[in-house]
Order: sequence, then structure tokens, then C-alpha cells
Amino acid sequence: MKSILTDLSRRAFVERFAKAVFGVSLLPASGRLLAAEPKIGGKAKSVIFLYMRGGISHIDTFDPKPGKPEMGGVQAIATSADGVQISEWFPRMAKQMHHVSLVRSMTSTQGIHDRGTYLAHTSYFMTPTITHPSLGSWAVKLLGSANAVLPGNILINGSPQHPRSGYMPTHLAPLPIMDPGAGLQNSALPSKVTESDFARRTAMAQAVGGRFVQQTPHRDAAAYLKVQQDAAALMKSEDLKVFDISREDKKTQAAYGTHTFGKGCLLARRLVESGVRFIEVEDAHNWDTHNDQIKQMENMTPSTDQTMAALLEDLHQRGLLASTLVVMATEFGRSPQISNETAGRGHHPGVFTWWLAGAGMKRGYVHGKSDEIGERVAEKPVTMQDCNATIARAMGIDLQHIEHSPSGRPFTVADKGRPVVELFA
Amino acid sequence: MNLERLSLALLGLGVATVSFVGQLVAADSPRFEKDILPVFYHHCFACHSEKQAKPKGKLRLDSAEAIRGSDVIVAGKPDQSELLKRVSLPHTDEDVMPPLKGGAQPLNDGERAMLRQWIADGAKLDSWVKFDHRGAVASAVEATLAGLDVRQLSAEVQKHVERSHAAKGIKPNAPVSDETFLRRVYLEVVGRIPSLAESTRFLESKAADKRGKLIDELLGSEGYVSHMFNWKADLLRVNTRIAQGQPGKLYDDWVKDAVRSRMPYDEFVRQLVTASGYLWENGAVGFYVRDLGMPLDHMSNLTRIFLGTRIECAQCHDHPLEPITQKDFYQMVAFTFGVSNLGSPGGYSPDNVKQWPAIKAKLATMDKDESLAQAVSGTIAPMKRLTQDTDKQLKFPDTYAYDPALRGKPVEPRTLFGDEAVITDGARRKAFAEWLTSPRNPRFAKHIANRLWKRVMGAGLIEPVDSLSALPNPEHAELLDFLTQTMVRLRFDERAFMAVLLNTRLYQSEAMRETPEPAAVFAMRGPQLRRLSAEQIWDSHLVLLAQDIDERKSNYRLGGVLDTQRLKKLTTMTADEIIAQARVNLAEHTRGRALSLRRAEQQKELAAAKARGDDKEVKRLTTLHAKENKAEAESDKEAAPKETDPRWKSLPPTFIRASETPLPLPLGHFLRQFGQSDRREIDAFSRDPNTTHSLALMNGELTTRALAEDSFLRRQLAASKAVGEQRTQLIYRAILVRSAKAEEIAEMAALTKASATPEQDIIWALLNSPEFLFNQ
Repeated sequence: MKSILTDLSRRAFVERFAKAVFGVSLLPASGRLLAAEPKIGGKAKSVIFLYMRGGISHIDTFDPKPGKPEMGGVQAIATSADGVQISEWFPRMAKQMHHVSLVRSMTSTQGIHDRGTYLAHTSYFMTPTITHPSLGSWAVKLLGSANAVLPGNILINGSPQHPRSGYMPTHLAPLPIMDPGAGLQNSALPSKVTESDFARRTAMAQAVGGRFVQQTPHRDAAAYLKVQQDAAALMKSEDLKVFDISREDKKTQAAYGTHTFGKGCLLARRLVESGVRFIEVEDAHNWDTHNDQIKQMENMTPSTDQTMAALLEDLHQRGLLASTLVVMATEFGRSPQISNETAGRGHHPGVFTWWLAGAGMKRGYVHGKSDEIGERVAEKPVTMQDCNATIARAMGIDLQHIEHSPSGRPFTVADKGRPVVELFA
Repeated sequence: MNLERLSLALLGLGVATVSFVGQLVAADSPRFEKDILPVFYHHCFACHSEKQAKPKGKLRLDSAEAIRGSDVIVAGKPDQSELLKRVSLPHTDEDVMPPLKGGAQPLNDGERAMLRQWIADGAKLDSWVKFDHRGAVASAVEATLAGLDVRQLSAEVQKHVERSHAAKGIKPNAPVSDETFLRRVYLEVVGRIPSLAESTRFLESKAADKRGKLIDELLGSEGYVSHMFNWKADLLRVNTRIAQGQPGKLYDDWVKDAVRSRMPYDEFVRQLVTASGYLWENGAVGFYVRDLGMPLDHMSNLTRIFLGTRIECAQCHDHPLEPITQKDFYQMVAFTFGVSNLGSPGGYSPDNVKQWPAIKAKLATMDKDESLAQAVSGTIAPMKRLTQDTDKQLKFPDTYAYDPALRGKPVEPRTLFGDEAVITDGARRKAFAEWLTSPRNPRFAKHIANRLWKRVMGAGLIEPVDSLSALPNPEHAELLDFLTQTMVRLRFDERAFMAVLLNTRLYQSEAMRETPEPAAVFAMRGPQLRRLSAEQIWDSHLVLLAQDIDERKSNYRLGGVLDTQRLKKLTTMTADEIIAQARVNLAEHTRGRALSLRRAEQQKELAAAKARGDDKEVKRLTTLHAKENKAEAESDKEAAPKETDPRWKSLPPTFIRASETPLPLPLGHFLRQFGQSDRREIDAFSRDPNTTHSLALMNGELTTRALAEDSFLRRQLAASKAVGEQRTQLIYRAILVRSAKAEEIAEMAALTKASATPEQDIIWALLNSPEFLFNQ
């Protein structure tokens, strides 16, 4: 009894001290002392979250099983990371693996696209009574963004099912960029409209709107007049140029690739340079390879390999990789068995791979293991909640911080996920 | 400022301060039932009532006997009363009541002062005996109206409103002009602005009661169906892709048909709750297919949208803020848990696919033809989701904390309040639906009356609309009771009910133009000004682009295995016919695979040729590929027929009313930008201003199309003889549905003086004025 009391008062002292000195609370809501965990993370100023829609096969990408019939004749190749092999379909990524931490023991219980995608983005199971915010919304809510003009949370080529800001206010929702080659939607003048047309028309709209606002004290009326001014200013602003990837030299554009994913990742890098907190890029490929696995991988992997490798190389060359966390995520893996009928692989949430690179993650590292054919987790299972906790921690988010939904329900950034401490260098 | 006005101003601050006001205004002692009971209900009953298996500290505050028998309140001596002491502790103190977790709020100063006063005055309970957690049933309503006289009912509603005004000293807003009424009622009832012709017809009409006539006409129109569908779809979370591999659109269609056919609201709810069958037999089963495998959440949502009561907190533990227990929650779920799609999504069985035993036997004789077996499975997959009652019983969870003896035990269904539901012949859902929709249910009619009131007036008489409880509602109680009875007397005819509200002098008054305070009591000076919904904005733009837009329907068709005709046949096919169909599907699938691989090859070939700079080869390949893909293109054409109607020929097929659009739409779509709900949860729409809104209105496709020479608006302007000022007036009428003031005319003329495109300038300016985005 005595020791517990002593412990409590010591804790209370540390707590008071921390509050006085740092103005922060060390004591998480659960009452567990944060200091008990090693000090890790906090190096990621920005995150680029690469999402492989449809559930990308782990065996055919970053968790090959050399010599096994499940490989369907595809080879594994050596990489720039000691002892780490990946599929031969990723020759360019093979040269970047010294930057990467692979998590080969990802596991989930959600084998339906919608539900897996939802869990991957929010760390919560999908329910029809509430929509949880995606990781990017948490990041902007808790950390803000370094650029005051640009939104801190941007989603490139996102699918309509994205959970966006969930129960959090809509200004935290990712700004969608539908076509990364076209820049910010509707930010350019339509053809045949001149600058002077635009100036004249805006002045007229402000005049009509001003009259309305004068007799309408409603807050949103004035807000609409204001966002119109903001939008007009944005169209002329220097910051808008960040969305214009054609300003990059031809060589860089070619390195990333001129397909949607390539353009998206190039734009993501430009946004990182401008201090945007969280950027998600969805690959335009549909990795839901129920049919003709080998053929489809052959068709889809080259562009994805090219872009991922170019992104890592580019960030590294520019010295941005130390402060930028790149993550590759997907809703599940694919079954080791190739179907005799369809020559494809089915959904496989039992084990799959995500990877992380940069921002203080270990380099050239493999965490966890699937079994010898890639069917089950063999070592160190990691849930999506755990991996998201790791990403959040890399950004310096307090995992115990509680946000309440408008109906008063308490939530944390990665639910009950625990960060994978071994991933941090 | 007199006391009356002060109390009103304070009332505006919301429910939490009601008691505070009571304390300030009433110099006499606070009364228990009126002032103290609501405080106990919101702050204490979640732990200290008969509802808990074991009330915390064995203290109950929900009966006179229990309060008198406890030692936490010492009558006449507030400072010796433990209750007052505990609720007055600073919020950082561990002993503060209520414990501040799970969103619980401490008492405010007003509530504390009032409690103190009440105890000092002797803690009188008057004639109060105990709190009735189940609440009273709704009082009997006089016989339904024979000749429904909507105008008469409107007048009675108006009397209630005026009585409330008189009591509170509120001065109602001035009557609204014809122009403002016109725009408002179109947006309200059909969800879009009126066309130029519609406006002119109404404004120039000399008919007596032309407003009433317009209301009737609009309520009977197809535009009403469209707009009402959006409203219901947001509540029901209707989404074209409600479940993988299911023809979700048939649920959309069912809801639209129900609205169109004037199905009474209570019948609508009964049909949803008792729905059985496949989606292609009865679209109402979408209500269950929507929440596949989520029986608990399904009941949370059901209770919220049909009873205005939120119980989802009690899904995992007793509600921390209200006397609703986890047991209450489970008892409610027990009514619907047995529904096949909710509790037990599973594989094939004779239950969901009656041909299954025969199919299985036949496949067994076919030498393990795996391809065929898979094709059969794919063919009958939609039948897996048959909605029907099963005997499956809900059990208390293994983590049930309040009575370990109940863990794993079956849960007997029981209603949350009002009457008990009597289950005969095991028909749980039928009994539940009858209880739910009965006029005796104290919250069913009240909730829909309050929701429709909010829809029309912009604010509910009770806010939030889903905060109904066993506590009586202190504000607007008489009016809401009258509306509730009106709903019952009109036999849940939503259109008639809307007509009653739309014909009131209140609705036809100038809008309240201020920002409403959160949880404020609705002052009813006029309807509340609000931003248009995403759907109203989109649909209003369409009015300028093409004529008769309400009549244009989606060409979206379910194809392949989800083709409705095919599905209907499937249900009646024999095992042999199903296997034969599976062979056809298999061939189709194989062909599809080959085509998709070939397309990828085509792209590669073309990319290689382009990379080589071999223009000749590029040309040859382009022609070759076009030829190869021709067959497929032909079949696509069949799926999406070209527009033949001259009214809409120049408009792409996606320019249809929002209600016709399959959801969810891509993120960058205009409707998504302006906050259309993704229908993932109830009313998940947003109306917050955002820079992307302005960008879309300034530079986006809708505005560009409205400005184009062939837009409906420009063609109408071209056809009119109006010039100069008259022309400007016409544009104002078309877009803002009002005439321009003299100074506006002058201003527009001055600003467009040097412009080569004055007409487009004015159209652009009006579409981009915030005025366009609000219903006033």
C-alpha cells in the first residue's frame, strides 16, 4: 500500500513539474506514465501516404517466397538492403530498399474492400453510427500545418469512399485533387475568360453579395463573401504554383512517370516542400487481382515501381527524407494460392505488407515475418492500428490524446494501437 | 429590459440554462418537477435511478421515497447536504459529481444556485411520487379528420404560434413578399429555384389564394419526390452501393416510389421494419441489407431516425448521460436481431437459395468442375442476401458488466418506453413495428412532426431533433402536441402536413436572418434563413441549363448479374437452369478477362510505339485497336443509350437532378464539394463555407455552361424582347427570383459599361453572390 502511494505522489510531482516547465501534461488519460516508453518519433514533419487500392499482393511485391510454387514462377531479387529480397517486378525499388522498413507481418480481420480501407485510414472498424476521421485529419487537427495558406491535408486521386474528416469539422477534411496534372480544381480561369473579365465580374458579385450580407447578419453569409475574396486571391497567389507540376524540369517529370500515380507523387513532393502536413496519393491501379494475377502484375507494377522509387530517391536527394515519412498501405494482401479457374488471387487480410521510409525509421529493415508461403503471420503481428500508431508517433502525436465526437464519444488517433518501437532507428 | 425579455434572452442560451433562468426570474422557490427534475435527469439518473442493476452508492434520486430516505439532501440546510457539496466541487476534484467521464458535464452555476435555493426552501417534492422512466403513452387523438381542411389546421397552428408570441412578448416578422415566398417555397418543396416561366406565371397571377394553390401544385409534383427523396435518403443512408454484389439501386427506387405513391409515413416505416425478401422482390429490404452484419448499429440508427432518441452510447455500456442501460439497448435489438442479414451473414443454404440442395447434388456428379462450381456461386451470389426472420436469438455479451449472471443468456425483447410490445406467434418484428408506429407511441408521431417542422421552418421545436426523452419538453410543448396530433389526424400524410405548415402566416413571414445559437429555443418570428443544401444548389443551376429538369431521369442501369430482370428470373429457375446460366456467365467472364488483358497489351503497344516516335505505327495501332474494341463499344452503347429528347440533347447524361445520381460521387464532384452526404451515417451533410465552393462557382463547369450561348437561360434571354434595364430585371428574376432595385440596375450598368459581355457578367455575378446560396 505504501509503495503505491509513494508511486502516486511521485507521479503527481513529475506531472506538476512537467506542467510548470513545459506546459504539457505527461500523464495520459489511461493513467499510464508516458515516460515508461522510450522517447521515439516526432521527426516526420510531413507524411506521404501511398495507398494501393484494391489490396495489393504481398507475395508478388515486398514479401516474395523464392522458389515456392505460390510465386507462380516469378523470381525474387536482391536489393540495396542487406539480405532483403523483393519481387523481380520492383527492380527500381530494389535500389531504394536501404531507405525502407518493411512490415511483413501486417494482419487484419477485414476482408471486404470498404471495411479494410476504412480501417487502414481511420484505425477504427466501420460502423454506421459514426464516421471516424482519417489519419490526415487527426494530424492537422493536433499539429496544424507549416503552411498557412495551403490546406494541411491533401488527397490526390482519392476514392469516393474515403472517410475524410469523419466527425471532425469539414475544414480538416483532405482537399481532394482529382487530377494531379490539372492542379487545384477550378483554380484556373475557364477558356475565353480574361483577367479583366474576371476582375469585373468579381467586383460585381461582391457588390451584389455585399448588399445581401448587409441585411443578413448570419455568419455564413459574410463567410461566403470572404471565401470568394480568398479564392480570388488564391488564384493569383504564389502558393498556387505548387500545384503546377509542369514547373518541374522534364527529367524529373519523366523520372516519376507521366501517369496519374507518377504525377500525384511528384505533386506530393512539391507539397512537402511547401510544408503541407499530410498528403495521401492513391495509386490509379486497381490491385484487386481476382483474375490473371501474373499477367496483371506484369502490366501494373512497372509504373508503380518507377514512381515509388523515384519519390524515395528524389526526397533523399533533396534532403527531405529525414523529415518526411513515406508509407505504403493497402487494405489487405492476397491469398498465396493462385486460383486454377481465374488465375488470380483472393482477398487475404491474414497477412500482408506495408512499408515505411524516412523520418527516423530504421533503414533497410524488415519487421515481422509471414510464414513460408505468406499465408499467416509467423512473427510479430502488427495491426493497422499499430502501424497507424507508429505513423502518428513518428509525427509526434500523443497517442493517448482524446478527441470527443459531437455526441461525446471519446476517441484516440489509433484506437488501441501500439507503436512498433522496433521500427524507429 | 424587463424581466420577461431577460428570461427570453437567457432561454436562448439553451437547455442547460433553463434552470438558471428559473432561478433568476422566479423570485419564489424553484419547483421540483419543473426545475430540479431535469437537472437530476441529465446529471444524476445515469447512475442513481432504478434503471441501474446496482445504483451507484445505493443512491437513487428518481423517487420521492428514495430521496426522502437518503441522507444526501438535508431539507433546509444546503451546507449540510452532501449532494450539493459534491456537485459544487471544482471539476478537477476526483469526488466531483457527476464524474466527468464519457462526456458528462458538471452543473453550471445557475443549476447549483437553484439546487441550493430549493434545499434551503425545504427541498419540497410537492405531489411528485416518482419518475416514470417508460413515460406515458401518447394521449388518444380524436377521430381522424374526414374532410381534411388544411387551411383550418394552418390557422390553428398559427394561433398556437401567436399565443406563444403573446406570452413571451415576441414580435413576429413582417409578411413576406410574393417574390421571396416564391423562391422559398420552390426550394422548400421541390428543391430548386423556379424557372423563369414558373416565376412569371405566379407573380403575374391574380388568382385568389394563389400561394395556397402553388403549395398544392408543388406538393403534387415530381420535383417534390426528388427533394423529399434526398431528405429521406440522408436519414436512411440510402446509397446506390449499399452492399457489394447487391442491386442497391432498387432500395433507392423503392424509397422514391413510396414517396411518389403518397405512402403514409407510418406505413412507410412499417414496411421498412418488417421488410422481407430479396432486393429485387422488395426494395424495402435495403433497410437491412444496408447494415449487413451490424445488428447493434442498425438498432441505434433505427431508434434515432424513427423515435428521435439516441441510444448508441448504451451499445457497450450503460449510457453515461441518461438513464438508458445497456440492457435496455439489448432488449431493443432483440426485436430485429433474428433478421438474416443483420445477425448472421453467411453462405448458401436452402433458406436463402431454395435450389441449393439440388444444385449441390448436380455439381457433385460433374467431376469436380471447379470453374463451373465457381461460376454457379457467382451466379447465385446475389441470393445470399435474402432478408427474412430466423430464430436466432440475441445473447448478452460475455463482457456484460452489470449482472454477470446474464452473460451469454438470451435477451428477451422489450420496448424502451411507452407500451409493451405483445409478440404473437414469434413475430417479433411485426410486434415491434406496431409498437413503433402506433399513435400511442409517445415519440413516433412527435418525432416526425418535429423533423418536418424543422425541414420547413429551419429549426426544430425540440433541438436536437433526436434528443427526445421521458422528460416533458418545457418549450413549445402545446404547439408540438398539437402538431403531433395533427400528424396522427392526417393519418401520417406528409404532404398534407407540409401543406399545413407552408400555409401558416409564420412560414410566410420574413426570415430570421441571424446565426442561430446552438441549442437555442426557436423564437418563431419567421422561418430560419439557411444555406441551401448541396442538392438544392446543383438542382437550381440545372434550372438555368435546361428545361423541365425534374423530368430528366438517370440512365444508370444495373448490368450483368445484377440486371433486375435476370435476378427476378433467378429466383424461379430450376437447378439445371441455374447451371446453364452459370455456363453463360462463365463464358462472358472468360471473354471479359481476355478483353481486359488485351486492352492492357494495346496500351503497352501504343506506349512503346509512341516512345519510339514511330508515328506510322501509332496510327496503325490506333485504327487496329479501335476495330478490336468496336464490339465492346457496341454493347456499351446499349447499356447507356444516347439522349434523344431535344430538351436535354446538349446536356451530358450526368446533368440530372441530384436525387437521380448514383452515389457515392467522386470527391471532386460539385455535390461532394458543397457537402452532399456520403450517406455513411445519418444526415452526414455539411453546409460550411469553403474556398473550393467559390472556385467551383467562379470557374467551374456549371457556371461556364450557364454562361454559354446555348444554355436554357441564354436562349430564353435571346428570345425575349427585353432590352437594357428590362433585360437586367429578367436575369435577376431568373437567378435570384426577385426584381432588381433601381440602384442595383444602375450599379450593374456602370460596372459593365466597358464590357463586351454584359449579359454574361451579370449572370456570373448573381450566381456568385452569396444571396444565391441561401434560402431566405
